[in-house]
Amino acid sequence: MMSLLPTLAEPRHFALWERALFVALAGASVYGFWQRFGPILSRVLDSKKDPGFRLFPAGKRVRQFVWEVLLQAKVIRERPLAGFAHALVFWAFCVFALVTLNHCAAIFGLAFLDPAGRVGRIYFAIAALFALACTVAIAGLFVRRFLIQPKWLGELSWESGLIALLIFTLMATYLAGFFVPAQANAVRALWWAHALTLLAFLPLIPHTKHLHLLLSPFSVFLSRGAFAQIPPLSGDEDFGLVTGRDLTRIVSLQAYSCVECGRCMEHCPANATGKELNPKEIILGLRGYLNEFGPKSEEPLLGKYASQQAAFECTTCGACEFQCPAGIEHVPILVGLRRGAVNTGAWNDAHGSKLFLALEKGSNALGLSTNERDRFIEKNALPLFDGTQEYCLWLGCMGAYDPRGREIVLALVRIMRHLRVTFGVLRKEKCSGDPVRRLGNDLLFQQLAESNLEALAQYRVKKIVAICPHCVRTIQEDWKVFGTPPEVEHHSEFLARHIEKLRVPPVPLLGPGKERIVFHDPCYLGRYRNVYDEPRQIAALAGKLVEAPRSRERSFCCGAGGGLAFLGEEKGDRVSHVRAAELAATGAGVIAAACPFCNTMFRDALAARGDGAPELMDIAQIAARGLSLEE
Amino acid sequence: MKIIVAIKQVPSRDAQVRIAPSGNWIDETDLEWAMNEPDAHALEEALQLKEKHDGEVVVVSAGPERVAATIREALAKGADGAIHILCDDLGARDALGVAKLLAAAIQPEDPDLVLTGLQSEDLGLGQTGVILAELLGLPHATLILHVEKIETGIKVKRELEEGWFQSIEMPLPALVTMQSGGNKLRYSTLMGIKRAKTKDLRTVTAVELGVDAAPVVTLEQISAPKKQKSTQILTGSPKEAATALVEKLKTEARVL
Repeated sequence: MMSLLPTLAEPRHFALWERALFVALAGASVYGFWQRFGPILSRVLDSKKDPGFRLFPAGKRVRQFVWEVLLQAKVIRERPLAGFAHALVFWAFCVFALVTLNHCAAIFGLAFLDPAGRVGRIYFAIAALFALACTVAIAGLFVRRFLIQPKWLGELSWESGLIALLIFTLMATYLAGFFVPAQANAVRALWWAHALTLLAFLPLIPHTKHLHLLLSPFSVFLSRGAFAQIPPLSGDEDFGLVTGRDLTRIVSLQAYSCVECGRCMEHCPANATGKELNPKEIILGLRGYLNEFGPKSEEPLLGKYASQQAAFECTTCGACEFQCPAGIEHVPILVGLRRGAVNTGAWNDAHGSKLFLALEKGSNALGLSTNERDRFIEKNALPLFDGTQEYCLWLGCMGAYDPRGREIVLALVRIMRHLRVTFGVLRKEKCSGDPVRRLGNDLLFQQLAESNLEALAQYRVKKIVAICPHCVRTIQEDWKVFGTPPEVEHHSEFLARHIEKLRVPPVPLLGPGKERIVFHDPCYLGRYRNVYDEPRQIAALAGKLVEAPRSRERSFCCGAGGGLAFLGEEKGDRVSHVRAAELAATGAGVIAAACPFCNTMFRDALAARGDGAPELMDIAQIAARGLSLEE
Repeated sequence: MKIIVAIKQVPSRDAQVRIAPSGNWIDETDLEWAMNEPDAHALEEALQLKEKHDGEVVVVSAGPERVAATIREALAKGADGAIHILCDDLGARDALGVAKLLAAAIQPEDPDLVLTGLQSEDLGLGQTGVILAELLGLPHATLILHVEKIETGIKVKRELEEGWFQSIEMPLPALVTMQSGGNKLRYSTLMGIKRAKTKDLRTVTAVELGVDAAPVVTLEQISAPKKQKSTQILTGSPKEAATALVEKLKTEARVL
């Protein structure tokens, strides 16, 4: 079988002048590389250390590295064809590591892979297969970038073309070595062609986005450790990302790891509706800032390279961070930029100020009197939590004050009573702080979190169930900075556990034309909490589920998150209208939601669509339909 | 320009106010407190003047320990210093008594401009600022929405009725009582709170100020307002009814 494998031809001897020339060129190449890479590395290392960053336990990091870098899972899953082509190029590079080492060693007579030997022949053959795959892949990627021109890759990039050409040449010069007789001069020529291509490639790496070859494996390994993880502020002078001095090592490393693939931009709801925000430009803006001003500069970050307006158009939906194959974590960066503006008072937005003042003086984000909440509780005879019940039913601002939110709460209450699960609502509840946390107001967030934690401890609350994924996330994750929150879950998780009891009696179909139900994954339940199946189980009780084109982890935001529900009218198209149109286009007669914000956003969007728009129901309302009316 | 702002801490808008057993004051247990809103606008106006023309803003407030929280809020929003007149019996003093306390604390500061709120949200007498001006010997103007610095002193915009305004020029030093709504309030920031820790907050007692407390007006009784319902049916075409409604919401209900 060995004889079936073609033999790679290699030059046997090299002249002294050839060796000298190689050393000189290699030196120049390494110098060219370091001249550009050195300063970049210093800028990353000179950045502030990340407070609260822990390298260990490293098991999760290693698993993430293997999955995302070695197996290229994210690269492939989110853009299958192009992703797989990239994966082939990457795997070829990995395989070629030894080939390249051997290639350079050969000129000094130190080659360790013998093309005639058993190991050598097998290895070179494997490398040849990868080289072939790589050649096809890189040609395909070239066609995609330069002929098809997908818009999220941005303007045509000559450097990408050059890199593609170099990779092609590397593979071609390697493969050609199998077809040339061992004694010919062509073998030497091929060796030099390959070597020169390598030496040309090396210095180009730090000058282009191909820096990701070196940096993105580190970005992935050194991630913050959890999705959309907002770092704590450290010390009295830390107000978020105000100037270069606030950029941390993780942020700087990630800024330089961006491959400019544009997946973040493709999935951004703000970008899709004509707003200024472009998550790719935010990251590249930080890179530009670092290149011009460096990590010790007092120049404001929101200025030349990033705009305040863009930063405040983010709904924190997380689609950008979730998609990123290079390990960039956009959400903490955007929230960091907002913190820098809000904590220093530089953000002067009429609606934003109104929201902050409402929460400074009052208890809820809508600026309504607590009498309204008290009356709602009284009118519906909701039991007050007194430590004897199993659950504290957290109403949240929407559940207590918003008409739709209240309907969802009452549906859940009916179900809980039917299930004979004991619960109570808090006599006094303050906003969980989600909108101010995402907008970057740490003063207000701390006050709200501490006040709520104290109240929960006082009433000895052990378990919370809430209708709002924003409350759930904020209570479980964000409050941790200030204390230990009780266990909290979303009502979809609670209902799914009791689903057998909810099937009996069966939930009737919701009406003629309403047999098909499309579930909209809320950002804060799906991407943020990884809960996709439980709400679907509930929705499926009353009909046949259909999926929206962008669903589950690719779900398209309703537009309310990031505090945006409390800010003024948005520029461009309304995110909620775009999503409502997508949901309606599935042909479903019912849109099922699991978040009071999504519910409110779609209520307006569907009303704007007029008659014939699908009906909007929360999963709690769907489940409650099955209960007898006397309950 | 040295500006003094007199602020009062009042029960928060949302508070469930109960009448004390004595019948002549409210039950203060479990109440949440906030800065009187017209005073917040006075503070905002002072801060904006300081930002435009350089100077210093000092807040003065009379009341028990709990008032310190509102004073710190004022410092966090940008005031440079504060004087806390510690007194536990604010409810037993009348407007003259309170004005005397404030005047005693403010006089030595020798300010260019004193701003107070038009009235407080709890008692709503609307007198303290005016009496204070008299005690300090300063010209005063009331119901002011906006203060502008001019060469000869200040020019103020005064709110009249039926949507009319009046413009008045005044020399400095002067006292102005501010109406709510003339400017946009700023929110408290983390940076403000951190900086507030290092600002000058002085506490004095009524005794130290040497002010006698015997009120000339005694508050005899407080009672809850009687709830009344009144329904108006607006007639006419939808457009006419809507126009009439907007007019009423603006001028009668005053919510727009």
